[in-house]
Amino acid sequence: MASDKPKKAPSWDKLNNIFMENSLNRNGSRADSQSPDSKSARERLQMENAAPKYDYQAFLEKASRTMIRFKKPEHLIKMIVKTIDEQLKVTHTAVLLFKEHKHSYILIDSKGSQGIKIPIGFIKLVEDNPLISVFSEKQSYLISETGILRSDDVMAGLRNREILERQPDLYDKLLLIKKQMDLIKAKLCVPCYFKRDLLGILVLGEKISGENFTREEMGFFVTLANDAAMAIANAFLIENLQQKIEEIKELYIREHRIFIHTSIAMTAAIDARDPYTHGHTERVTTYCLAVARELEGIPEMAHYKNFRETLQIAALLHDIGKIGVPDHILNKHGKLAPEEFEEIKKHSIIGATILHPIKELSDVAREVRYHQECFDGSGYPDGLKGMDIPLIARIIAVADAFDAITTDRPYKKKKKVEEAIQELKRCSGTQFDPVIVSAFLLAYEKGNIITNGNQHPHLK
Amino acid sequence: MKKLLVVDDEHDICDFVKSFFQERGYTVLTALSGEDALVVIKEEKPDLVLLDIKMKGMDGIAALKHIRDIDKNVKVVMVTAIEEQERMDEACRLGACEYITKPLVLDNLEHAVEKNLK
Repeated sequence: MASDKPKKAPSWDKLNNIFMENSLNRNGSRADSQSPDSKSARERLQMENAAPKYDYQAFLEKASRTMIRFKKPEHLIKMIVKTIDEQLKVTHTAVLLFKEHKHSYILIDSKGSQGIKIPIGFIKLVEDNPLISVFSEKQSYLISETGILRSDDVMAGLRNREILERQPDLYDKLLLIKKQMDLIKAKLCVPCYFKRDLLGILVLGEKISGENFTREEMGFFVTLANDAAMAIANAFLIENLQQKIEEIKELYIREHRIFIHTSIAMTAAIDARDPYTHGHTERVTTYCLAVARELEGIPEMAHYKNFRETLQIAALLHDIGKIGVPDHILNKHGKLAPEEFEEIKKHSIIGATILHPIKELSDVAREVRYHQECFDGSGYPDGLKGMDIPLIARIIAVADAFDAITTDRPYKKKKKVEEAIQELKRCSGTQFDPVIVSAFLLAYEKGNIITNGNQHPHLK
Repeated sequence: MKKLLVVDDEHDICDFVKSFFQERGYTVLTALSGEDALVVIKEEKPDLVLLDIKMKGMDGIAALKHIRDIDKNVKVVMVTAIEEQERMDEACRLGACEYITKPLVLDNLEHAVEKNLK
């Protein structure tokens, strides 16, 4: 992905360091504020033993800015678990994430004391687990206004006689939830929502000190859980997007293949009528592509939306108009009469007309129309000259002539390749664009113009 | 009190499963390898073994064969990753009572042990 430039995506270690520095700085400034002269050692000790003060606001501000840069949500989740474990002194911390293909929430990271820490990857909660339904069904009466499910609230509900007597269903539900929370020793369950979807759950054990979590701490957890949800959702969207891009690419390739195959089928129709030109279009196309490789980078190519594709299709279809030329002319042995030649000459216009209704092939139609134009303006149908003839038409003209010279025709015998090359050179600048001829010669010298498929069909 | 043996080469899993079942009134022993498990079974004669299949050294299947040589009656519940279906079938032929796939549902783990120790 283009946005994944190494500079912009800090490494795990680097982010980890930023995190740790943040907490160290915070601790440092607190120590500074207590000048050793003004307070006795005992007082200081008392202060440090008091409920650990934590500047959540400052931490979160810095943290969320750093966190958002994690490439993978798993890294962010590891960071969250690590931070809670190191800063809050709880028996254990765990994060369960929804895995669609498993239809359950899998424990993907955890920390905590020996025996209480739930091993990573060891447990899952299925979708209909009461603990999950509390959140996914948004049973708000069970959840405090912070969005957190607290085991204390569940206990309070179970002790409430009113619920026991009047709402036995709710009582049973509470019992089930209590049991699930006990199984994973959860004091708090914090949901990670994105929009209305429950993407995961952050599970916290008790504080080792046995104290209750403060409002501020719970707010902190909610923020972390939201950050995690955001990161997961983003990663998911990006993954989806990449998948979509792949699908579109594949569709494009398929469509392109259909295009090419349709063109080949159409040329087969022409070839079938004219045994003498058997394989002609195929060879011309190969020559054109070889020439194009030598022309790589010339500015004119930029005039085409997709040069190579247009060239390939135009080369395949350049003689499509022969479909409109009567058989007796097309297959005539010996020299054509002037009026017959006029008929033959129509094939480039007919070809363009056939392709005209296909909007996507408008570029191709133009090249087909002009593939019989000559560089000096002596060609047909419009007598275009020099650079007024489009590039692809100029390429096809050379490749087409070369194949005509090196294969048998009803009206003439084939010539040797060397003679054909001489003829191209001779006509360079008059019939042909000299640049294209040079490119053709280059390709020929490199061995990219292979003519060994051009025997007379009847000799095969 | 029923005696369980948890065999897994992951420390965290042994510790977690141990405290999980201790809290539910079992005596729980642990072994970090198939080899260790055989020693413990000989000496302690547990009622049920929770046996991980994928372990370094002697794996769960090999351990199960040896366990059968030592003690014909000990119940064995295999704990395994989902992709090891073939080896689970083998374990069943070797007399494992049942298997649980990881990641597991804790209720199922609890039930599997309870059920087989009735």
